[in-house]
Amino acid sequence: MRKFSLVEFSVEHPKLVVVLSVLITLLFMTQFPKMRTDTNPKNMLPATSDVRVWNDEVENTFSLYEDMIALGIVNENGILNKDTLASIQRITDEVLKIKGVAARDVSSFTTIDNVTAEKETLTVAPLMTKVPEDAPGLEHLRKMLYDNPLFLNRIISKEGKTAAIYVPLEKGANGKEIADRIREIVKKEKGDEKYYIAGDPVARDTFGAEMFKLMGIFSPIAGMIMFIISYIMFRSLFLSMSIMFPAMIIIICSMGLLVGLGFPIHIMSSMSPVFLMAIATDSIHIFNEFYFRYCEKNDKNTAIIETMKAVGKPLIYTDITTAVGFASLLLANIIPVRVFGFGIAFGTLILLLLSFSLIPAVLTFVNIDKVERASQKEGMATGRTSQLLRRLGSIGVFRPRATVAISFILFVIAIIGVMKIHVNNNLVEWFKFNSDVRTADRIINQSLGGTSLAYIVATAQEDDHMKTPEAMRYIEGLQRHLEKLPVVGKTTSVVDYVKRINRVLHDDDPKYDAVPETKEMIGQYIFLFSMSAKPSDLDNVVDYPFRRANIWVQLKTWDAQAMRDVIKVMGDYQKSNRNRIELKPAGIAYFNLVWNDEVLWDMVKGFGAALVIVFVILIFNFRSVTWAVISYVPLLFTILLLYGVVGFIGKDFDMPISVLSCLSLGMAVDFAIHFVSRLKLRLEETSGSESLADSLLWTAARPGKGIMRNAVLFASAFSVMMFAPLTPYITVGAFIVSMMLLSAIMTIIYLPALIVLMQGWLFKTK
Amino acid sequence: MKRFMIVLLLFLLPLEVFALSADEVARKSQAAFLYPGKDFKARVMMKLISKGGQERVREMTMLRKNYGDTGGEQKYFIYFYQPADVKDMTFMVYKYPGKDADRWLFVPAISMVRRIAAKDKHSSFVGSDFTYEDVSGRNLQDDAHSIIKEEKAGGKDCYVVKSTPKAGDMDYSYKMAWIDKATFLPLKEEYFDKKGELYKVFTATEIKDVKGSPTITKRSMKNLQSGHMTEVSYTRADYGIGIDDSLFSERFLKQPPKKWIE
Repeated sequence: MRKFSLVEFSVEHPKLVVVLSVLITLLFMTQFPKMRTDTNPKNMLPATSDVRVWNDEVENTFSLYEDMIALGIVNENGILNKDTLASIQRITDEVLKIKGVAARDVSSFTTIDNVTAEKETLTVAPLMTKVPEDAPGLEHLRKMLYDNPLFLNRIISKEGKTAAIYVPLEKGANGKEIADRIREIVKKEKGDEKYYIAGDPVARDTFGAEMFKLMGIFSPIAGMIMFIISYIMFRSLFLSMSIMFPAMIIIICSMGLLVGLGFPIHIMSSMSPVFLMAIATDSIHIFNEFYFRYCEKNDKNTAIIETMKAVGKPLIYTDITTAVGFASLLLANIIPVRVFGFGIAFGTLILLLLSFSLIPAVLTFVNIDKVERASQKEGMATGRTSQLLRRLGSIGVFRPRATVAISFILFVIAIIGVMKIHVNNNLVEWFKFNSDVRTADRIINQSLGGTSLAYIVATAQEDDHMKTPEAMRYIEGLQRHLEKLPVVGKTTSVVDYVKRINRVLHDDDPKYDAVPETKEMIGQYIFLFSMSAKPSDLDNVVDYPFRRANIWVQLKTWDAQAMRDVIKVMGDYQKSNRNRIELKPAGIAYFNLVWNDEVLWDMVKGFGAALVIVFVILIFNFRSVTWAVISYVPLLFTILLLYGVVGFIGKDFDMPISVLSCLSLGMAVDFAIHFVSRLKLRLEETSGSESLADSLLWTAARPGKGIMRNAVLFASAFSVMMFAPLTPYITVGAFIVSMMLLSAIMTIIYLPALIVLMQGWLFKTK
Repeated sequence: MKRFMIVLLLFLLPLEVFALSADEVARKSQAAFLYPGKDFKARVMMKLISKGGQERVREMTMLRKNYGDTGGEQKYFIYFYQPADVKDMTFMVYKYPGKDADRWLFVPAISMVRRIAAKDKHSSFVGSDFTYEDVSGRNLQDDAHSIIKEEKAGGKDCYVVKSTPKAGDMDYSYKMAWIDKATFLPLKEEYFDKKGELYKVFTATEIKDVKGSPTITKRSMKNLQSGHMTEVSYTRADYGIGIDDSLFSERFLKQPPKKWIE
């Protein structure tokens, strides 16, 4: 029995064990300076995944920017006045000078190319070279803006109150830093205009910055709360510190390992300290039992060793099931989820090791008098908590049928809720409704084309096919179809440019705002366009051999569902308009959709795996299939209830929630393991001299107190996250708090009811 | 005697350095680069190469005639062979000192001539990395020129001239040019953007003697920020071929005479 020798060794050489633990921890800590964050959703999937390879190819073929910031300028009295236009000019000039901004392709009033016709002359010039001085000048600008469909809904809104500057970023530029620079620039403007900064890179990099802050603020706060609550529970500063000590060690070791292996901190792993701290509360079972034992035996070292004998086995199994729950995330395709699962599983195993070495060692330093005083209060009969727990347990023990019936009703309701679950991911909604990022996105999406960008790439069978009227009309038809969707704000393609040139060449006659009749015309118009506009304008919408065209689809929401709608319309269009041109979606909105589906599939996979493995471990633990089933039921029930609630309140089933489902399995099963293990031990110890009902009540009152303490401590650590400014943290916090409290109550009320009802089946071998 | 020569040389050396002012170097360079001969003709092959290595080709015959001295008026006539669908398209430019050029384009598919007004300073020449100004030159008085240093480039002694536009309406904040002391041709030019970063590089990759005038027959312009590049090569370059003034007219724009465009 090696584990007992480890405990004994630790009790005999406590100082050595403590020093060794600290040294090893310091070793892991040396990795911390290498820490870096990664909030780019692209890195959720490996660089070799199909969708990323395809998106890279599309970006390359059409010289597209990965990232674009949109600056919205709102003036309730209209944009087209001298002062606002002067502001736009000044801001644009300053934005062009920001490092990391791809100045050559910034689209603003003063930089965007405008092709116009006047008296047989085609004029190509930036829309506004200088601010119009008088009313006719302003009127002329208004006409140019509203006559050109390429501008409307892009740089100016229909009602004329919102203008936009689009700022593409060079590869690797930090969106938040550039957004902050733009904020400084607009702050200098004195007018009534309001400014909004939106776009994927802003959301992403702001999220990254917030994430780091949260990690720094919430982990210590969670630690403090746990410390205070454990002090209230045990009335001993020393014991509270002994609970925190292993928690700190596993946090440092597991974060150190992740950083040391070169993984950047991602949204998931930024939550690990809080998770690990909560998991470390598992050691409370040791302290809980130690108090009872010490009260009974009054010899410290014997009490420690006997405590470990009693709680050792459930501890091993609970830690292993927790580790397995997290390790099941290794099956995920989403890289940060995998890294997170790996880190927590590692930390949990370290905790297991510490439970048999460091914790017994630390217990030897406990001041005898204090423990004596404290443990006096732990008498089973006198403890108020124990009384309450005994009463709770008796509900299940004495009214098993009613308990199970009520649960069944809840079960049915939960199923209905689960069926209402809506899978969706929306990066912008990771911010609170009134946050700068989300407000800016909402305002810009209300009046302009849309901040979320998708592409549809049309590929023909041979070169130059995109110049044929047939291909042009096919693309134009698709655009009109897509624009019928309410989520689509604007579409742009090479066809829009060709039609524009056609009209301008024919003295701005609206009759010519159409696809030209011959391939020669189209070819020459495109050439004319390339002679006048910026080369990138054309590169963005058509490839070099004119075999592929790129249709820009601006979406008004970051919901993955919006892209699903676009793809459906695209598919329907393909079916009803047979053509040899292939259509394929791309872009960040498409990526988000793929990733979203991947999350769901991963979750199903991980959940399935965890379900099976945890069940197998339970069988091993109890050496009985029936007991495994019994302790499994309350766990499944807890999870089902939680998802039922998620379905009813209409919360999107997003990445953080789906990941939680795997974890909840590993964590919620802990209480059942403790309960059943201790019950069986009690039955053995009393060997028939006590009725099953009494044994159940004893278990509810004594190890039940450990369970309750564990749940409260765990929940209190996570409750901190509910005050975070980012919604995924709030979701995770609320979910874990409810899960812990619910599964503790389930274990104490529902599990005894089941055991009473099934006793014939459970004990028939005995 | 030997000693005397050295003293004389030492005396002459700085004199020679300052013998030419920056403005003069810039002027001589413009004369050698854009104004040699009374007229000029070449078959021009232009390759537009994207960052990803995709290529677009423009093939044309370019004719030029000078009206006046260096920096004076010029007329250009361009006939396109490639891309195939723009064959027969013609393009004519009247270049004036001190103001934007006039340009006309003949669009054969609709048999129509249109005047095109575009800003020389920013507009790309037929979608390439060259602007109109890069092709036909920039007004010398629009820049402040200074000789920064002298050094070898490509094995040749060069003046390094910095030209800073006096008005702030350019895409670049200044340009550095390595001008061959012997031929006054620019061997290399570097353009720096408003953030002070190098973003465009011009390189003369082949220089041939055409009827006594050293002529850049291969050149490239690379945009370091977009990764886009344009390569240009001249074949059948010739000077003093006696182009008629009448060529530069709307009539010939629609029906270019074979003898000039081939």
